[in-house]
Amino acid sequence: MKDNGSVKRVIRKEDLTFLQKAYITEIAKGLRLTIGKIFQPKFTHNYPDEPWPFQPSFRGRPVLVEEDGIERCVACGLCSRVCPSLAIEVQASETELEKERYPIRFEINMIRCIFCGFCEEVCPEEAIVMSDEYLLAFYQSRDAIYGKDKLLMSTERLAKRLEFLRENR
Amino acid sequence: MVTITINGKQYQVDENQTILQAAVELGIEIPYFCWHPKLTVSGNCRMCLVEVEKMPKLVIGCMTKVADGMVVHTANDRVIEARQAIMEFLLINHPLDCPICDEAGECKLQDYAYNYSRGVSRFDETKVHKPKRVPLGPKVLFDAERCILCSRCIRFCEEVAGKPQLHFVQRGDHTTIETFPGEELDNPYSMNVIDICPVGALTSRDFRFRSRVWEMASTESICVGCARGCNTYLWTRNNEAMRLTPRINESVNSHWMCDYGRLETFKFVNEDIRLQEPMIKQDGKHIVVSWDQAIETAARRLKDFKPKEIAVIASPYTTNEDNYILQKFAREMTKAVSIDYPDHIKDGDEDDILIRADKTPNSTGLKLLGIRGDGKKTGIPEMMQAVKEKKIKCLIVMAEDVASDPAYEKVLSNAELLIVHTWSHNKTTALADIIFSASTYAEMHGTMTNFEGMVQQIKPAIITKGQNRALEGLNMSRWDKFGTQYDKWGRGPRRNARPGWEVFSQLANAMGGKFRYQSAEDVFREITEKIPAFKGLSYQSIGRLGAKAPVKEKIGV
Amino acid sequence: METLIIAFIKIVIVTLVLLTAVAYSVYAERRVSAFIQDRLGPNRVGPFGLLQPIADVVKLVFKEAIVPRDANKPLHDLAPVISLTVALATFAVIPFGNTIQLFGREIKLIIADVNIGVLYILAFSSISVYGIALAGWSSNNKYSLMGSLRSSAQMVSYELSLGLSVVGVILVTGSLRLDQVVLNQTNYLLGVIPAWNCFVQPIGFITFVVAAFAETNRQPFDLPEAEPELVGGFHTEYSGLKFGLFFLAEYAHMIVASAVITTLYLGGWHLPYIDFLDLAPMLMSIIGILTFATKVILVLLFMIVIRWTIPRFRYDQLMSLGWKVMFPMALLNIFITGLLLLIFS
Repeated sequence: MKDNGSVKRVIRKEDLTFLQKAYITEIAKGLRLTIGKIFQPKFTHNYPDEPWPFQPSFRGRPVLVEEDGIERCVACGLCSRVCPSLAIEVQASETELEKERYPIRFEINMIRCIFCGFCEEVCPEEAIVMSDEYLLAFYQSRDAIYGKDKLLMSTERLAKRLEFLRENR
Repeated sequence: MVTITINGKQYQVDENQTILQAAVELGIEIPYFCWHPKLTVSGNCRMCLVEVEKMPKLVIGCMTKVADGMVVHTANDRVIEARQAIMEFLLINHPLDCPICDEAGECKLQDYAYNYSRGVSRFDETKVHKPKRVPLGPKVLFDAERCILCSRCIRFCEEVAGKPQLHFVQRGDHTTIETFPGEELDNPYSMNVIDICPVGALTSRDFRFRSRVWEMASTESICVGCARGCNTYLWTRNNEAMRLTPRINESVNSHWMCDYGRLETFKFVNEDIRLQEPMIKQDGKHIVVSWDQAIETAARRLKDFKPKEIAVIASPYTTNEDNYILQKFAREMTKAVSIDYPDHIKDGDEDDILIRADKTPNSTGLKLLGIRGDGKKTGIPEMMQAVKEKKIKCLIVMAEDVASDPAYEKVLSNAELLIVHTWSHNKTTALADIIFSASTYAEMHGTMTNFEGMVQQIKPAIITKGQNRALEGLNMSRWDKFGTQYDKWGRGPRRNARPGWEVFSQLANAMGGKFRYQSAEDVFREITEKIPAFKGLSYQSIGRLGAKAPVKEKIGV
Repeated sequence: METLIIAFIKIVIVTLVLLTAVAYSVYAERRVSAFIQDRLGPNRVGPFGLLQPIADVVKLVFKEAIVPRDANKPLHDLAPVISLTVALATFAVIPFGNTIQLFGREIKLIIADVNIGVLYILAFSSISVYGIALAGWSSNNKYSLMGSLRSSAQMVSYELSLGLSVVGVILVTGSLRLDQVVLNQTNYLLGVIPAWNCFVQPIGFITFVVAAFAETNRQPFDLPEAEPELVGGFHTEYSGLKFGLFFLAEYAHMIVASAVITTLYLGGWHLPYIDFLDLAPMLMSIIGILTFATKVILVLLFMIVIRWTIPRFRYDQLMSLGWKVMFPMALLNIFITGLLLLIFS
């Protein structure tokens, strides 16, 4: 084996000084470290009490952007097509608004969703984005299917993410 | 024949062809918008520009006749640059509507923009705005912005439908399409303009926004609207029929189909009035039973009747196989002599394009199967008279709503036993003692014979209870393929329905017969053996475009 | 009769205080270990997580007690009881204060004022090995058995140096009474330094503390329950309330060991220099009790911190330390102490 420093040096008993062998001083050193640690700031985040500060790049559950009370979505179905886990189901319908087309039903099966963000990336209208919400627990599998009622989220609430998307387009 | 060189290769082609026709025949791709094999050449899209050596400028392939020794380049730098320029011009005023456009996914402009355009636009100015939701007629909606002015729809109305109803107005980039004053696009073939429109300018008002193209699976089928039997694609999503589009078959319907066939012949497949389960009548009420129970009950009760007391009504609405088995069942098991089927002829509702007065898809097939026999004595009116006089006490009806005629409704209530095999609740099922829920043409294999004697195949596009799309070999969309049975889209409505040949074979077996058929193909094999008019045919020889029996029999239509 | 009632009251108070202290020492261990590891530790139940021990106890009580099919059930049940009883009983001879004047009578702040307190402690600490040995054997589980065997061997090895270390203290004090041991430490060396035995007997102090760690199965000598090697050691097959009893016993042992160390070497209830202030006797008694409690808590904290500082000894290291270092040192201590006493008296 080459002696290039990567080889682990084995410490033998003969290498130790008397004080080291006596152990007591070494214990004192160890105690200094551990006791010192007690008074240092803690790494733990007080999670449910203090909300985690999200970066805008965080990918929480996908939501539909709500602008002026209606969704931006035009139900083009690209998110549904690109979704690798087939979580999204869209049914389009006609509206009198200028956009002509809107999702009469938009459902994401949150059990299937893998938070990959492809839907956000493919969306031509910036209508589906990843929010900062991630608390998803269900008692029934049917509760996991989120309809429009649960998916709509206002632009104000999503401002950070939308800005992030525009910057990183 | 002349010899031409395309992209360095020599080909022998018909001298009457244009370069584009020759290229299409040879499988060489030249993009085009306005050219259509069944329409006159207008040459206004300029997409099919090709270079012909010794010609100073590029020429349009659709208008230039081939000539001996011609040297054509379809993909050299000059041509590619010209195509990119054409695409850029076309896209200048074309809105970025793909997300809301029904054509997306089957759009020529989309495909060509992907294959032949520069990829980016240099046009910074405001696009020209035009009306976006113009109802050209009761069935077609027009989006003027998306229109690339290829004039296919104008030429179609004039040349194929025979009713000039559309024309260009305005000029330059304000050019748009309108109906003639006081007219609307209402000819019986108007919806074909949707299919031939290379972009999403003309869309179906019926199918508008119902589904994306890529979400559906298409199955080769035939239209059951009239005796023509137009070849169609039946598009399904989540086990539900979504739309019909014509399938090219030069010997039947060419590229077209009528609006009636397109809109009215598939919707009943999805409707709520479909029979979900077999039923029997108990104490005046219909109760749901299992297939075994229903068949066992029918077999038991049929034994109480003498052959003379039994009448059987077949149907030109359903397949040769169903009718053959029904006939075989009637003749061998019940020994009934009264067998017939009603005609559904709408006099006058006929033209020399596609539409036939006979509104059933298989009446020729029934005739060839010999169901009507010598006619006269056992016709439907005679049958009904006999039922009224209680000479006939038992009726077996397949796929026909006999009681829709108010005169017959009362008569039918005289029958002691009424067995009905059909797909929807109707007046006859209301009177029936035993109801077998039937598979529709969209749910089974079978053959139908059109008025010219062309035997054509139908294939299942929708599954019934207990079936599995993959195991049955049905065409599948991405959702059908990768969804599980626990997903919503895997749980579309399913009826506990069976085709006629299966039900009446089982009924025959329950009565002691030996009907050994595993599939519709088994039945058809027996038909080809027993019926001379079908001799030599097989599912394989019928294929996707249909076939006539090789041996010319006298059809006697 | 009166003596009995007073003794009974003392027993009840001491037991309650001790059990509470045990519960909270668990809490203290979890919090301190968390702090050492840059964590926060249990802080959800009650303010600062102070109700955590109660939640733990409730949980343990309500959990199902599973007994292995081939276990010796009576012994399996008996083992944790022995462990806890021994731990609590040892506390009977510890003087947790001098005397207190209550209702016109003088009460000694010790439950059993026996004249052989030191021997009593040594005897009882040896009995506790039965709890562990029985638990390991009765569980009919190889890991349990190995844990208990190690424990027995460890106890035998360290009992020796423990006992010999104490001999030094007895020589200095000239009595086996624990209150006498404490009183002997209320003097001052050279008039300034408190005459605590840890100063008088430094070698004995170290050997005793190390041996006490081993006796209580604390790190770095927790070989009987070494998790990486023996799953849970002797209590692998214990669950629910019985596991809870073992758990309590371990911490009770810790507290008792701390109390014994305090009494023998750290001046017991005596707060140095307080006797110069000439305070009221009642106040002095209370200060004495508080001093004792504070000293015990500090020793406890020391034990906890040591746990997260020193890694576990290997079994052969443990044995060689016990027989080759501790035993000779304890003997040496006796020899030196005897020699010095002979010279100075």
